[in-house]
Amino acid sequence: MQKQSTGYLFVLPALMVLGMLIAYPVAYTGLLSVTDNAGNYVGLDNFRRVLSARATPTAFWNTLWWVFGSIVFQVILGVLTAILLNQNFRGRAVVRSVTLVPWVVPGIVAATTWAWMLHTEFGIINYMLTGPGLIDEPVGWLTNGSTVLPVMIAINIWKMFPFVAIMVLAGLQSISNDLYEAARIDGASFWEEVRYVMLPQVRTVIVAVTLLLVIWALNHITIIYAITRGGPANRTLITPIQIFRTAFESVQFGQAAALSVMFFAVAIVVVFIYIRTLASNPEETR
Amino acid sequence: MNKLQTLKRPGLPGWLILTASVLLVLVCLFPFWWMVLSSVKTLRELYTVPPIWWPAAPTWENYRTVLFESNIPRYFLNSIIISVGSTALALVLAIFASYGFARFNFKGKPLLQSFVLVGQLLPTAAIIVPLFVTLRVLNLVNTYWGLILVYMIITLPLSVWMLTSYFKNIPVELEEAAIIDGASRLECLFRITLPLSLPGLASVMVYAFVTTWNEFIFALCFATDSSVKTLPIGLAEFSTEFNTDWGAVMAASVVMTLPIAILFLSMQRLFVGGLTAGATKG
Repeated sequence: MQKQSTGYLFVLPALMVLGMLIAYPVAYTGLLSVTDNAGNYVGLDNFRRVLSARATPTAFWNTLWWVFGSIVFQVILGVLTAILLNQNFRGRAVVRSVTLVPWVVPGIVAATTWAWMLHTEFGIINYMLTGPGLIDEPVGWLTNGSTVLPVMIAINIWKMFPFVAIMVLAGLQSISNDLYEAARIDGASFWEEVRYVMLPQVRTVIVAVTLLLVIWALNHITIIYAITRGGPANRTLITPIQIFRTAFESVQFGQAAALSVMFFAVAIVVVFIYIRTLASNPEETR
Repeated sequence: MNKLQTLKRPGLPGWLILTASVLLVLVCLFPFWWMVLSSVKTLRELYTVPPIWWPAAPTWENYRTVLFESNIPRYFLNSIIISVGSTALALVLAIFASYGFARFNFKGKPLLQSFVLVGQLLPTAAIIVPLFVTLRVLNLVNTYWGLILVYMIITLPLSVWMLTSYFKNIPVELEEAAIIDGASRLECLFRITLPLSLPGLASVMVYAFVTTWNEFIFALCFATDSSVKTLPIGLAEFSTEFNTDWGAVMAASVVMTLPIAILFLSMQRLFVGGLTAGATKG
């Protein structure tokens, strides 16, 4: 094809918009992190203040729990659902559509609906659990410090596992029939087929989806923010919410920016390590 | 070949498929069923122990509160304007960018392509503060345009990704023939490539619309005036304003979910196809 420079003209508008909305703010965050609210240069003061705040380590550990707890179960449940939906059975199309519902529904709707279902006195969940005697008395799921984070994680798992399922299902359906036939000639059982044919073939999909899930878990703070705003007693405070509250509730833009810089650096390192381990794995470079 | 086809493909036993499917459907749908049910209960029925599974006399009272005594209708309109606006803008930008990436080889293309994807990898919380400052400088805080622009960050990267892989799958020979006949690049794009990629365009549209309709955090930061607030913010306000009125909250949730449910269920095949094509063929 001739005149390759024309390509620049096509991609330019989108890149300009993204540059203005991403590159500039990222650079500006760096600047904000070393200035105070009046715009004076204060060196590393903001970083020092943020790091000595009691909420910071709490938020860091909560974030780790939130991300890992969510992702492990999202992937496991998603893959199991994909294997189920990859079977031939009547009504499969309906089940597949229904599975996508939690993912498509607005996060805020999921949050309020679950909050109502988890209501201590009138919530359906406490009723369903106390009825058959699974728990002795109603649990204050959202007010009890030891249950609130696991509950948030559970809601997040419920919200996102359909995405894993649908991506893995697409991968499963693109597996060549030859592989299944070879396995069948060897007399493989169903679970052997899962282990030796399906899982190795969708590994790349799972790996890519996991990366997206990590990023989304860090980005989608709607569920936690809408239900608890980080409370009670910072039990569900994760770093993105801490940034948000520092900026818009305490109006400490400099400290929020300093926290953003650190958060961003850690996120980049995690993503980078993840991609590097993938690239160094010969199986993945096909 | 015949011999192979006679080999029976092992599968899960029927009872396991049935149980798992029923469980899956229950887990996915029960919250919505409960939401709809709660939205037609009277106040007294909502606050009853044990909970009532089927309201004796379904009431529209909660919907009346939401539709006539709250800001929800106004927020609904705002949501429509902002979602349609940002979907249209994302679509136009993504069409050109994807065509550029799919059909041209230019210096720095891999770098630019990964820059576009970085947008998807960026922790949004980390750029809220500078974005807010940027919008304030541009005088775009509390305007439709502010949110429409900001939503490019979350819709554009994946849209470009999905459309690029879609355009790549359209045979380039069609365009080469047209160019020999004297067609310009833009004519190729609008007369040949676009008509052939309608399913891809539809999936990008659904994706962008649903994402912006559901978006919460940016709206919370950049739309603080009720003239531009979107539905998610309205819903969040509702649950604090009427702290005890769960019936109205559930009715508002239903109102907010309906457009998405209708749009998604009618376009589901296209949407899922487009999304997974982008992921597996990349």
